[in-house]
Amino acid sequence: MGKQELFQEAIDAILNCNKEEAVNIANRSILEGADPAEMLNMGFSAGIREMGELFGCGQVFLPQLILGAETMKAAATILEAELKKKGDVKKVGKMIFATVAGDVHDIGKGIVVSMLSTQGIDIIDLGRDVSIETIIKAAVDENADIIGTSALLTTTMVEQQKLEEALKARNLRGRFKTIIGGAPCTQRWADKIGADAYAEDAAEAVDKVIALLRV
Amino acid sequence: MAKIRTRMGDGAVVQMDADEIKRDIENGVADAAKKARVDPLTDEEIKRLYEIVTDRRKFVSVEPGNELVLSYDSMPMKLNRVGIPVDRPNLMRVFERGFGADMLECAYVHYSIKPIKVNLSEEVAFFAESLYGSIAPILYGAMPNMGLYTKPDGPCENAAELLPVGKIKEAQEAQMEAAHYLYEDIMLVAGAMYEAGADGFNFDTTAATGDAEFYAVLTAIEKLKEKYPNMGIEVGMSGDFIFGFHGEVEFHGKRLAGMFPHQQVKIVEEAGASICGPVVNTNSNRSFAWNLARAVTMTKAASLIACNPIHANVGMGVGGVPMCVTTPIDCVSRSSTAMAEIAKADGL
Repeated sequence: MGKQELFQEAIDAILNCNKEEAVNIANRSILEGADPAEMLNMGFSAGIREMGELFGCGQVFLPQLILGAETMKAAATILEAELKKKGDVKKVGKMIFATVAGDVHDIGKGIVVSMLSTQGIDIIDLGRDVSIETIIKAAVDENADIIGTSALLTTTMVEQQKLEEALKARNLRGRFKTIIGGAPCTQRWADKIGADAYAEDAAEAVDKVIALLRV
Repeated sequence: MAKIRTRMGDGAVVQMDADEIKRDIENGVADAAKKARVDPLTDEEIKRLYEIVTDRRKFVSVEPGNELVLSYDSMPMKLNRVGIPVDRPNLMRVFERGFGADMLECAYVHYSIKPIKVNLSEEVAFFAESLYGSIAPILYGAMPNMGLYTKPDGPCENAAELLPVGKIKEAQEAQMEAAHYLYEDIMLVAGAMYEAGADGFNFDTTAATGDAEFYAVLTAIEKLKEKYPNMGIEVGMSGDFIFGFHGEVEFHGKRLAGMFPHQQVKIVEEAGASICGPVVNTNSNRSFAWNLARAVTMTKAASLIACNPIHANVGMGVGGVPMCVTTPIDCVSRSSTAMAEIAKADGL
C-alpha cells in the first residue's frame, strides 16, 4: 500500500475515533516498512489537527475530540515504541499547565492538554485555581521546559502577569518558556507581560508549544 | 489615507484605514455565514455597517422610532460592582426612574440558581419588597450555572476530569445527573419567585456549561409554562454555538450541541420562552469591525427566523463589544445601533 494511502487511512481512523483500526494501521505501517515518524506526523497527527478544526467549527463535539485523542495515543504508543527501537525517540519536552488562581474554568485547558499529550509532550496538569507559588514550585521540581497558563476572566488574567514578575524576581525567568491562553488573552497581552507565546486555540497551542521546544 | 480610530476585541484603541475596516467587516460577515451556515449580510447592509463603525463621532445612535426595548442581566450588581452600594429595592427605582429601564431584574449577588435555594425565603422577601416600589415589569434572574452541581462544588462527578481520561460514558452520565439537580432547583426557585409576584424569570448565560445545561433549562421552561401559563421567561444565551460537552443530548428530537443563534432561538421558542437573547462572542484578537460584522450577521439570521422578540446580548465580550472590564461607549453605541438597524433585534 502506498504511503499516501496509509496516511489517509490513519487520518480516517482518527476522524472516526476507531481505536482498533488505528492500532491495526500503526502495526501494518511498521510491517510495510513505513517511517514511524512520518506516520505520526503526516497520518495520525494530521488527523487530530483536522479533528481540532472540525471541533472549532462545531461539527464535532468534546467527547469525539477526546475519543480522537485517545485513538491517537493508542497509535502513537505503537509508533513511538518502534522509534525507540531505532533509537529515534527524542524526548519532546515537559510542560506544567494550570488555570490561574481565582479562575475555575478548565474546559479549554482540558482540550489543550489532550491535544498536546498526543504530541509526545509530558504534561503535568495542575488543575484550576492554582497559585503562582504552586505553579513555580511544580515547574522547578519537575524540571519543566514550559509553563502554560489559562485565564478566562479579565479579572484573573493579571495572574499571568504576576507569574512573569515572580519568575523574574526569583531569577527563574530564563529557565522556563511561558505560554498563555484564554478568551480575554491576546498576543498584545502576551507581549505586554513578557510571555514567550500566546495561543488562541488548542490547535495553535500545539504548534506554538512545539516551536518553543525547538528553540 | 486618513486613519480611523477604532478598537480591537480586547478594547485596545487602534487606528485603521478604510480598506482595512472594510476588509474586516467582509471577513467577519463571511466567517459568520460559513460557521453558522446562514446568509451573509447584503451589500447595502455591509455599507451601512461600515458607516456605523467609521462614524467619527464618539456616540452613535438610531433615529427616533427605531429605539429598542432594554432588558437586563445581573441588574442589582451593576452599581454595586462599581462601588455604589445601593439596596436592591432602591436599585430597581434607580434603573426605572433614573435610567429609563423598560424591564427590571432582581437577582441575588451570587447570581446562580443553586445558592439562591439556600436563602430562598429571605430572597423572596427582598423581591416582594422590590415589587412595591416599581411599575415596570420585574423579572427574577439567575444563571443556571450547572458547574456548581459538579465536584468540588456539588455532588456530581466532574465531566471535565472524566473526559480527559477517556471516561466518555461516565462523563455524560455525570452531566445528566447534574442537569437533573439543576432542573429541580430551577422549578423551585422560579416557581417561588413567580408565586411571590414576579412578572417572570430571566435565565442568564444559558448553556454556559454546554448542551446538558441547555437541556435542563429547556425542560424546566416547558414545565414552568405548563404550571404557570402567564409567566414571562427570558433566555439569555452564553455563546454563539452550544458547546457539546455531552454531545448527544436532544430536546424535542433535536441535538442541542452545535446549535447556532438562529437554531437556539427556535428551540427556546419551542420550549415556551417569551424572549430570547442570542449571544455572539467577541474574539479578543480581532478588530471591533470584524467582531461586530460577525455578531450582526448571526443575530440577523436569528431575528429573521424568530417569532418571539429577540433581545441581542450587547455587553462585555458579546455582541461585538470588546472584552474589557469597562465597556467603551463608542463600541457599545455602535453595536446597539447595528443590532437595531441591521440585525433587526427587538431589544437589547
